Amino acid sequence: MADHGLERALLELRAIAVPGRRRPRLQGVSLVLRPGERVALLGPSGAGKSTLLAVANGLIPPSQGSVHWLGEPRGLTPHRLRRQQARIGTLWQDLRLVEELTVQQNLNAGRLAVWGWPRAVLNLLLPLDTEACTAALQRLDLDPQLLGQPVSALSGGQRQRVALARLLRQEALLLLADEPLASLDPRLADGLLDLLLAEAAAPRGLLLSLHRPDLAHRFDRVLGLRDGQLLFDLSPQQLERQQLAALYAGGAGP
Amino acid sequence: MRLPRPAAPLWVLLPALVLLPLLLLLPAISHGGGWGLVGDFAAAALRPSLEPLVLGSALEGLAITVAMALLGWAASLGLGLLLGVASSQLVWHTCGGVAWPAQLIRRLLALPRSIHELIWGLALLQLLGLQPLVAVLAIAIPFAALVARVVSDQLDALPVAALEGLRSAGARPAAALLTALGPPLLPQLLSYGGYRLECALRSATLLGVFGLGGLGTELRLTLQSLAFRELWTGLWLLLVAMLLLEQLLGGLRRRWAMPERLNLGRASVGHRGRELLLAGLALIPLLVILGWWIGIAPASDWRWQPLPPLAAADWPAVAALPWARLVGNTVLMTLLAAALAVGLAPLLLLLAQPWGWTRWLLQGLWALGRLWPPPLTALLLLFVLQPGVLTGALALGFHNLGVLGRLLLESNDHGQRGAEQALSCAGTGPRMALLYGRFSGLARPYLAYGAYRTDVILRESVVVGLVGATGLGSQLMEALSAFATDELLALLLAYALLTLVGEELSDRLRRQLRGGARPLSPGPAAATALPLLQG
Repeated sequence: MADHGLERALLELRAIAVPGRRRPRLQGVSLVLRPGERVALLGPSGAGKSTLLAVANGLIPPSQGSVHWLGEPRGLTPHRLRRQQARIGTLWQDLRLVEELTVQQNLNAGRLAVWGWPRAVLNLLLPLDTEACTAALQRLDLDPQLLGQPVSALSGGQRQRVALARLLRQEALLLLADEPLASLDPRLADGLLDLLLAEAAAPRGLLLSLHRPDLAHRFDRVLGLRDGQLLFDLSPQQLERQQLAALYAGGAGP
Repeated sequence: MRLPRPAAPLWVLLPALVLLPLLLLLPAISHGGGWGLVGDFAAAALRPSLEPLVLGSALEGLAITVAMALLGWAASLGLGLLLGVASSQLVWHTCGGVAWPAQLIRRLLALPRSIHELIWGLALLQLLGLQPLVAVLAIAIPFAALVARVVSDQLDALPVAALEGLRSAGARPAAALLTALGPPLLPQLLSYGGYRLECALRSATLLGVFGLGGLGTELRLTLQSLAFRELWTGLWLLLVAMLLLEQLLGGLRRRWAMPERLNLGRASVGHRGRELLLAGLALIPLLVILGWWIGIAPASDWRWQPLPPLAAADWPAVAALPWARLVGNTVLMTLLAAALAVGLAPLLLLLAQPWGWTRWLLQGLWALGRLWPPPLTALLLLFVLQPGVLTGALALGFHNLGVLGRLLLESNDHGQRGAEQALSCAGTGPRMALLYGRFSGLARPYLAYGAYRTDVILRESVVVGLVGATGLGSQLMEALSAFATDELLALLLAYALLTLVGEELSDRLRRQLRGGARPLSPGPAAATALPLLQG
């Protein structure tokens, strides 16, 4: 893919297929995501958006096609796969923080991929790396006083930011987000989207699934996914009304 | 400098710290004489004796053990249900308007419950002589008291709206109780009853080890005559029987939509009701046939054995027993065994991750632990260790590790795995992801169960009394065989008091652990289900 410029792609999917129970969840999906790119993934529910993100972060291995990370094929040994996953951060819809641990312990959990056992255990005993954790919180406009609080004591908006701060702690190059705005009120949703777009400046990249076409103009590229297949891959300026209509036509499926 | 404050995932591993002093002490109490024997024992596992005579007698022993377990279990269920209804405040309130008789019956039932089935067995053995009925009664009496407590707890915790509705519509008390409380109680009772059957099989084997007949007796005799190949014939058979029973009960639980052990929410038996009734009816002739086959004849069995002339009670001698040391040793052994079992299960789970053949290895080890009666382990340990508290604790710990490990693995399989998945998708290794993502949520319900288990181990500590110097248990064994009635009574009372205090303490600890559980923890139902996991 030399014609895409000098910069190495963060993530490249080539003709990905994932089988499903009745019909394929993904079929022949190819895409390239370069540093600095902020990409929105649109599509009706059931189109395969979550599956695509799960292939990207390594949760689901595709049955066909290949995944490349920084030009290398996806790790074939568990060790190599983990090394690649360490740079891919996922903002889960249900956040998946560890409720019983403090904010600081949760932030440091983002480092577990590179930490050895001594630090991993020490993190459960003492507050570790307070400076880095404070910096991550401040960057997201959170009060550093929260570091010692258990996650279960936080409000919904605070939890979302803590989950994002964990991705900063992880030093992820690629940010994946599965409908992060779905359950938020408009004000919180705008705030979170601002944060995500700001954090995704080069060398990072962002792939975010969304069911609000009205926000498409804020991204560099828009992908349309329907029935497991990519319908379009365009800049928001190129996106036309009838393409969106075709994407959402007739409910979830044919 | 702030003090280190362990977070939830470490709580479950902290009890395993007991391994350190234990490993330091082990060389001091090992005498190394019997390593050859232990080797022979292990080698014999692969070459059990298949001689028709040995196989036949082991099979017959197994059949007798299963029959005793079934009969004792059925009797305890029937009796326990009656006693449970009789000790329910709600029932007394509805029928008579007063609640104090319920409290009274409940208090009285604490005594049979606090005495282990082995003591019941040995005492009845002296009174009734050696006959199958003894083992059946020994299982039925304490189990009935346990079932009664669970039934009354459940009854009193059920919502009363339906009952009040029926009552105000003029229904008679008994009919109203049965209609309103029967359906919600049934699945809980069935699930718990199935679990009690597993316990009954373990208890019947244990009673056999002490000479009450069946496979347990064969196991002990073959172990003591060092006939390891014959011993393994019996053990493999028992293992097969135990795993079959566990699978069968698990299957029935699913088929009849009964709640899982760590997830006893509301569930109804639904359209399988008729099948359930048929199964219950089919059980009755089976029980009668089994009873006839092992030779229970109620008319002739109730003949008291002539007791040897009792010596006059010598209370000063009883008071002069080293009570502090006896109680201290019993408590120490209990805590050691509990820490070993509670701490080792998650530690081994962590080491066995990621799953593969290691999971099978763990399951096998835990099945052996459940199968192997603690006194047999203790006897085996005596080949290489000196008798004492540590040896007893190791034997009890191994057995309870089997019980706890299975429960942990089950809840691990059924729980939520979101946080663990998120961590492993960010490149965290499978062990660290398990520690951070799963153990955090499991910590409270698991430790609450561990607290309950400690209470069970305290009661159980009497069964390793035969390896000597283990506190109240061994003293009790001596008093039993010496017909020292005064000493026996005092020891029984002490044991009962100790277990009641232990029960109260573990109840409090559990309530505390439960109180702090977050509403969405992987086992919210687990906490409410814990009282149901008796045994």
